[in-house]
Amino acid sequence: MPISIKTLTNEELMAPGRTGCPGCAAMLVARLALKVLGRQTIMVSATGCVISNITHAGGPSIPFIHSLLPGSGSLISGIDAGLKALGKRNGINLMVLAGDGGTADIGFQALSGAVERGHKFLYICYDNEGYMNTGGQRSGTTPYGSSTSTTPTNMSVGKHSSVKNRKNMVLIMAAHHIPFAATASIAYPQDMLRKIEKAVQIEGPSYIHVLAPCNYRWGFPEDQSINLAKLAVETRIAPLVEVEHGRKYTLQMSNRLKRPVQEYLSTQKRYRHLSDENIAEIQQAVDENWEYLEQLANIG
Amino acid sequence: MARELLKGNVAMAEAAVRAGLEAYFGYPITPQTEVLEHLSARLPELGRTFVQAESEVAAINMVYGAACTGTRVMSSSSSPGVSLMMEGISYISGTEIPAVLVNVMRGGPGLGNIAPSQGDYNQAVHGGGHGDYNMIVLAPSTVQESIDLMVLAFDLAEKYRMITMLLTDGSIGQMMEPAELPEMRPVVRKDWDWATNGAIGRERRILSSIYINPPLEEETNLRLMKTWQKVQANEVRYKEYYLDDAEFIVVGFGTSGRVALSAVRAARAQGIKVGLFRPISLNPFPYAMIDELANKASAFLVVEMNSGQMLEDIRLAVRGRVPVEFYARLGGIVPFPDEVLSEIQRVATTKLNTDQHPRDAWLARFTAQSER
Repeated sequence: MPISIKTLTNEELMAPGRTGCPGCAAMLVARLALKVLGRQTIMVSATGCVISNITHAGGPSIPFIHSLLPGSGSLISGIDAGLKALGKRNGINLMVLAGDGGTADIGFQALSGAVERGHKFLYICYDNEGYMNTGGQRSGTTPYGSSTSTTPTNMSVGKHSSVKNRKNMVLIMAAHHIPFAATASIAYPQDMLRKIEKAVQIEGPSYIHVLAPCNYRWGFPEDQSINLAKLAVETRIAPLVEVEHGRKYTLQMSNRLKRPVQEYLSTQKRYRHLSDENIAEIQQAVDENWEYLEQLANIG
Repeated sequence: MARELLKGNVAMAEAAVRAGLEAYFGYPITPQTEVLEHLSARLPELGRTFVQAESEVAAINMVYGAACTGTRVMSSSSSPGVSLMMEGISYISGTEIPAVLVNVMRGGPGLGNIAPSQGDYNQAVHGGGHGDYNMIVLAPSTVQESIDLMVLAFDLAEKYRMITMLLTDGSIGQMMEPAELPEMRPVVRKDWDWATNGAIGRERRILSSIYINPPLEEETNLRLMKTWQKVQANEVRYKEYYLDDAEFIVVGFGTSGRVALSAVRAARAQGIKVGLFRPISLNPFPYAMIDELANKASAFLVVEMNSGQMLEDIRLAVRGRVPVEFYARLGGIVPFPDEVLSEIQRVATTKLNTDQHPRDAWLARFTAQSER
C-alpha cells in the first residue's frame, strides 16, 4: 500500500533529539524520510548543518555514520560492500543526507562515482543554497542574485557576479542514467513521501533534491519555511520533477501554477538589494528553465 | 598607522592584502572563515582576485596554478581542510614555487570540533604530505604577531621558493586585540626566471615535480635539502622571556606560549626563577638555542595543546642532560595560567623522575587528577 500521511508511522526515528535551528527544513526532510525508510536503515551524513545539529543531541535512533565532507558517496559504497561481505545486505536501507556543499561541490566526485557504480542507496540533498553551517558562504547551488557572506551584494549580480548558473543536481544525476532522480519540496509532503518510497523500492541508486529554506541565512521569519518552499514551487524557482533512468521526465506541477518570481524573492533579506532589472533577469532564467524541463517531459 | 581592535582572522587577511596578495583561493571552514569572508569583499574592491573553490583540494591546486604564474598567492583553512591539501602541498614543494598558507588549527582528529588546538604541529613541521620536503612554519601568539608574520611569510616564500605556513589556532583566529596594520605595499610584479607566464619571445619554461629518472629526483632532493640548510641558517625565530637568570625554562608556542607567559610572570612574583622560551619558527626549529639553554637550566617544562608533538623536538635538543617535563590540554581546551603555574611550582620544588617518558608521566598525573 502506498505511503500516505494517514498511514505514516508515529515513530520518530530522528529522536532522541537534535538541536537544529527553529524552522529548519533539513531536519523536517530527515524526519519524514526516516518515517518511510524505517528502523532497518543506516544513515550517513556529511559535515554540515545536519551533522552539527544531530550529534550534539544524541543522534537518530538508528545506526548513523558521520562521513567526511568529500566522501559521503564513497562511504555509502563501502557500507554497501561491507554489508554484502557480511551477508547482511538484504532488507537494509542505506541513506545519505547531505547539504548542497557536500553534494554539488566537495562531495560531487564521490557521489558521481557511487551512482556510476550502481550501489543501492538513497541520496537526499537538503539544499539551503550555501554553506549555512559555517556562516552562510556561497556554494555551487547558490542562486544568481543571492547575497552571501562571500558574495557581498555588489558581487551577487551583474557581469562581475561570482554566482552565475547554479548547478542543477537533478539533471546532473539524471545524466548518470540512475533509476530515479527527483526534486521534492517540504511544502508538498505527499509528493515527497511518494518519491522517497519509490526511491527505496527501486534497484540501484536514487537521488532526491529538496530545497531547504534557511530562515537564519536567507533572512525570513522562522515560521515561514513551508510557505517559502511552497512559493519556490509555485514561482517555478524550484520545480517538482522526476526522472526515471535518465530518460523519462515528469513534471509534477500543472501550467496554471505560475506566480511571478518577485513574490518569492521579496520574502527574503538575501534578495533585498535586487533591482527591477535583476528581478527581470531572474524571471527570464526561471522561464527558460521551465521551458527546457517541459521539452524534456514532452520527449519522455 | 593607528592601533585598531582587530579579529585575528581579519587581521591576517588584511595584512596579506597590504603585503601585496594578488590572488586568494579558499573554502569555508570554521574557525578560519573570516579570512575568506574578508577577502571576498576586499580583493575585488582592489581589482585583485578572490575565488571560492569547491573544496580544499581545488583551493590548493588553484594556489599551485596561480603561484606558477609568479603572482603572490595564498590560501587558508583549518585542520581537516589542510589535511585535504596535503598532496598539493607536496607538489608545490617538489615544483619549488612560493606559496603562503594559513592553518587556523582546531580540535581533532577527524572532524573534532571548532575549538583551538595545536594538534597539527607534526603535520606542518614533520611533513604531512608525501616525500622529502620542508616548509617554513611560523607560529604567532598574538594578533599583532599574526600580522607581522603574515607579511614576512610572503617574502620568505619567494626568497626560498617554498611554502610558508602560518600555524595558528582558533583562539588567535577568533580573538580581538588592539593591533597595528602595516602600510599598504604596492603590488610588485617580479619577473621571476621560473614563472610560466607566457613564452612569447623567449624559451618556454616547464614547472613540474616529475623526475622519472631516479638520479634526477635525487638531485632535486639534494637541492631541496641545500635550500633548507640556508633556511635553517637564516630564518630561525623565537622569543625569550626572563631567561637571564632562569633556573627552569618553560617552552610553548602560539597560544600555549602565551598562556605560559602569564604563568611565568605569576611564578616570578612568587620568587621562582623561571623563564619562557617561545619558538616562533617551528620549522626551522630553534634546536641550537634549546641546546644552549640545556647547559644552563636545571629543568624544562613543555606546554602544548596537543599530546606532546613539539615535546619530541625539545627532547632531541636537550639530549637527556636535564629533565624535560610536559603539560597539555587536548581536544580544543586551552590551559589556564593557573594550571601551568602549578606545574611550574611542581617542577621547581619536587625531585623530578626521569625514568618515565614525560608524556606518559603527564598522562598518569592528569588521569589521576581527573579521577579525584
